[in-house]
Amino acid sequence: MAGASFSRSREWALALPLAGFFTLFFVAPLGLLISVSFQAERQMTGGLGLGQYGAFVADALNIAVLADTLIVGLKATALCLFFGYPLAWLSTRVSARWQAPLIFLIVLPIVTSVVVRTFAWIIILGRNGMVNDAILALGLSAQPLRLLFSETGVVIVLAQVQMPLMVLPLITTLQRIDPNLESASQALGAGAWRTFFKITLPLSLPGIIAGTILTYTACVTAFVTQSLIGGSRLLYMPMLIFQQAMDLQNWPFAAAVSVIFMASVLVIVGMLVALSRSRAAKLYG
Amino acid sequence: MHRNWEALSFSAVFGFFALVSIVVLAGPTLVILILSFTGEESLRFPPASYSLRWYAALADANELHAALWVSLKVAAMTVTACVVMGVSASLAIARSHSRFARLLETLFMSPLILPALAFGFATLMLFSMLGVRASALTLAIGHIVVCVPFVMRTTLASLAQLDPALLDASRSLGASGFHTFRHVTLPLISRGVASGAFIAFMASFDNVPVSLFLQDARTQVLPIYLWDIIQNQLDGRAASACGVIIIATALIMVLMERLAGFSRFVK
Amino acid sequence: MTFQISRRGLLASVAASAGLSVLPRCALAAEELVAATFGGTWANVQKQVLAPYFTKRTSASVVQSPMLATEQIAKLTAAKGGQPPFDVAMLDEGPALEAIDAGLIARYDPAKSPNFAALNAPFKGDYGPAITMQAIGIAYNPKTVKTPPTSWDDLWKPEFKGRVGITSLASTLGLAFLLDVNRLAGGTEADMEPGFAKLKTLLPNLAAVSANFGAHGALFQQGEIDIGVQNFNFAEELKAKGVPIEFVRVNTGTPAWKTTMHVVAGALKPELAYAYVDSQIAPEVQSEMQKSPWNVIPTNSKVPFSGLVAEKIAASPADLDKMVFFDWKTVNQHRAAWTQRFNREIRV
Repeated sequence: MAGASFSRSREWALALPLAGFFTLFFVAPLGLLISVSFQAERQMTGGLGLGQYGAFVADALNIAVLADTLIVGLKATALCLFFGYPLAWLSTRVSARWQAPLIFLIVLPIVTSVVVRTFAWIIILGRNGMVNDAILALGLSAQPLRLLFSETGVVIVLAQVQMPLMVLPLITTLQRIDPNLESASQALGAGAWRTFFKITLPLSLPGIIAGTILTYTACVTAFVTQSLIGGSRLLYMPMLIFQQAMDLQNWPFAAAVSVIFMASVLVIVGMLVALSRSRAAKLYG
Repeated sequence: MHRNWEALSFSAVFGFFALVSIVVLAGPTLVILILSFTGEESLRFPPASYSLRWYAALADANELHAALWVSLKVAAMTVTACVVMGVSASLAIARSHSRFARLLETLFMSPLILPALAFGFATLMLFSMLGVRASALTLAIGHIVVCVPFVMRTTLASLAQLDPALLDASRSLGASGFHTFRHVTLPLISRGVASGAFIAFMASFDNVPVSLFLQDARTQVLPIYLWDIIQNQLDGRAASACGVIIIATALIMVLMERLAGFSRFVK
Repeated sequence: MTFQISRRGLLASVAASAGLSVLPRCALAAEELVAATFGGTWANVQKQVLAPYFTKRTSASVVQSPMLATEQIAKLTAAKGGQPPFDVAMLDEGPALEAIDAGLIARYDPAKSPNFAALNAPFKGDYGPAITMQAIGIAYNPKTVKTPPTSWDDLWKPEFKGRVGITSLASTLGLAFLLDVNRLAGGTEADMEPGFAKLKTLLPNLAAVSANFGAHGALFQQGEIDIGVQNFNFAEELKAKGVPIEFVRVNTGTPAWKTTMHVVAGALKPELAYAYVDSQIAPEVQSEMQKSPWNVIPTNSKVPFSGLVAEKIAASPADLDKMVFFDWKTVNQHRAAWTQRFNREIRV
């Protein structure tokens, strides 16, 4: 017994290096961020208070930027789910021979630089780009559409860039669903659609929640995509933080904006996690 | 009959959306790759002519070489530290069910959820107040925090699949803890660790939000260099630089798939 | 077909990458200077003309980092007291005044710069030489804009709805445009209300607001905008590259300002920095830069105006005096506030 607890404490020693590292370089910076956000003056000469937070909420522009960011994330995530779910479903249905290349195609974007992937869309969505060429050729519009530097463009590109984050957890969950359940449902007379909505979809909910959390947080913090596709006229939280921190050197305000941003993301993630727990409780009693 | 038609409509709808997804997922990368071979000044797709001129132009771009070197250096340092510290921490956490272990796990995984931009800014402030100036080392420190979750995720997954009976057997035969680790645990989790290391390497190599704050003109990393080119002067060099990255990434991925079957650990 | 990574192999590769990271940075590399430059055509011309001349003269290489003048100020300010992120700054008039006030750049020592004496008188700055003048006007796509524009008001024409491009106030290009529009509407450098009022009416015509003029040039190149404000030399470079673009001066007077180059205070390699700046004002470099496709206005008295510069901008330095200049000192006092207001007003 003594031997077991000794080896247990030795095991905890294994976690020490990373724990120490995180304390120094993760917890400390975040603590610094929060404390700087309470500085009243830009030069950080000492006065403390909630002034920076007040400045944020006092200006309707800032609230609009926060709202725009959270909403664009929502739209992009919904798009990801809508298109990603069928892709995940297909991955579990094809033969093993096709599975490997399919997974390869889905995973390759994750490890390719986001700058590279977003850049492609600048070419594709431009006024003389492929999408507008197709739209004009098909006669869907007389003039080229403004997709670049518009919220629509940002939503589309965000959805594509982050889609693997939605698809992969879905694949995992779908693979875990017992295929017998579906066969049983069909044997009992339910059609394909009914089986999907009554059996598959509810059982895949954990995967949906996991994918949504990862995708949503990635979409709202996607600085590169938001800036390259959105342009200067569409301002989102990441660029606001960057402008305030680097261009205007107003660290206290930038810190306050960062804290508000992180808190908003955590609240939404928390709601999603709570949702998954309550659903799980409902499903499994 | 009705059931067959229904099943068909279901497969057709899902199949169609899935196909669209694949095209949209893979398409842009392909477009850039093709575009990198354009012979024109402007980037229009499809290119009016093809040539290797923009790849040749890369040979001249010493800023690109400098940025590439910095990125490789930083990624190597990051991965080394992530593997050493992340695997150790995973070993400690994996076999414990205590609340403390769960707490540690949440802590180490939280960089995945928090906005990396805010974290990069916070780290910049920390270094600035400590008087430490930007360097490859400060970049690596920032990267380690956001990349170690990838190593831990795959390592924990591997450890979870490890049959504890094997470890008990090793112990009962008289092997020390370390010996067991070296000769039993490590070989069994090596593929998971390698997969996580690969993802962590690419995550560091491609990282923008943290690098944006922790780099300067003397230690510029490749994604920011690309970003600068795209923002400041859009010409074929941006496309060919992307082309190089795409080809290199794809090759490494194929290699990792063959060596470690890493796609299993990504899900 | 499975391949087991041996533990030894894993350990070896980890050790190798760690070893790689501590390897001293390419012992083969010669000395290196880090210099800031503007983006777009500036980065191109300095890479193609200035860098080779500099390397031949000093055997050192140079890393040129594209940044707006305002970004350079921000970065130098952030690094104040420590090591500056670059040794050579390239600034427009407004930011240059700021940099001098803040002690970010060093006094320029003519003794270390042989080419300084040959500069035309107005370009001999105490803190650094003026390397060129920048002049702005309207650039348009002749294929889609049939009647050449003549004044800023043409940008407001309803037929250009959704086709006009301007830059943000972070770039002097955007600022000078707004200042001139303001001046013509009755405002001054202290009162920007007329300018902002006019800007509001331009919004429906705007296709894009570029963060910097490098991105602005790309918009023309990619056909995203048909008409907009642009630098003379930038527009001419695009035209030389085959992009359908024409540059015209506005009939109300051409806004212009000096662009200067400086050795940063506390530079790591001051000798190389001086050599670099001195190379930029050398007659060989400036006459090369004046040629197509670069069309950079020279400041060295040994380089007479020729080519498109003489044709379109000024036949001689005396002609430069006829351009429209602004009181940058006053502008600097208000710039931050204007930039914030501009960012709000252009929001979609």
